[in-house]
Amino acid sequence: MNNRIREFRARHDMTQDDLAKRVNVRRETIVFLEKNKYNPSLKLAHDIAMVFGVAIEEIFLFDT
Amino acid sequence: MLFKSNFVLEINNNSIMKRALLALVVSLIVLASTALWFFKMEKSVTPPELLTFGIIIVLVGFGLYFAYMRFTGARRNEPPEDELSKRMLQKTAAWSYYISLYMWVFMIWLKDRVTLDTEQVLGAGILSMAVIFFLCWVVIRIRGLRNE
Repeated sequence: MNNRIREFRARHDMTQDDLAKRVNVRRETIVFLEKNKYNPSLKLAHDIAMVFGVAIEEIFLFDT
Repeated sequence: MLFKSNFVLEINNNSIMKRALLALVVSLIVLASTALWFFKMEKSVTPPELLTFGIIIVLVGFGLYFAYMRFTGARRNEPPEDELSKRMLQKTAAWSYYISLYMWVFMIWLKDRVTLDTEQVLGAGILSMAVIFFLCWVVIRIRGLRNE
């Protein structure tokens, strides 16, 4: 699974720290997500999508 | 004085700070007892003892790093634990448990071949478990928790 968190974050002019605070995780978690070193839970994926106001599948891209 | 009392109050009211403080205190106790052991030694230090001291220093460094990360995280109002840190800890514990089992089998095998006191075997085993945990944690941090 890949994701476009960095791209959406830049589009919303948001730092990793800002996003981490919005979804109530540590900044390190956002770093791991952006490096594709961690697959988030469904809840975290949903929360991140809600912050950017898009559907989950627009941010998280599943390998088929 | 006011700053000091506010700091103490903050520590008392905050569970994050308590855990960080616990890690800090344990690390300092280990460091102090190791220093006491080192300076009370009557003979000169042998290479295995030097290696043991080195390992203890590394583990104390890990404890202090953990405490520092907790303190800085708390100051940034970050949650003390989130899903990544919990899963990372679970994974580290699982890996280190499996590896430690093999390590104890190796220690039993070694005990039959090398003359060692029971205390030495137990001490080396406990220290090895801590090292295994530390190494597993480092590997998982580098490798990440992808597709699991």
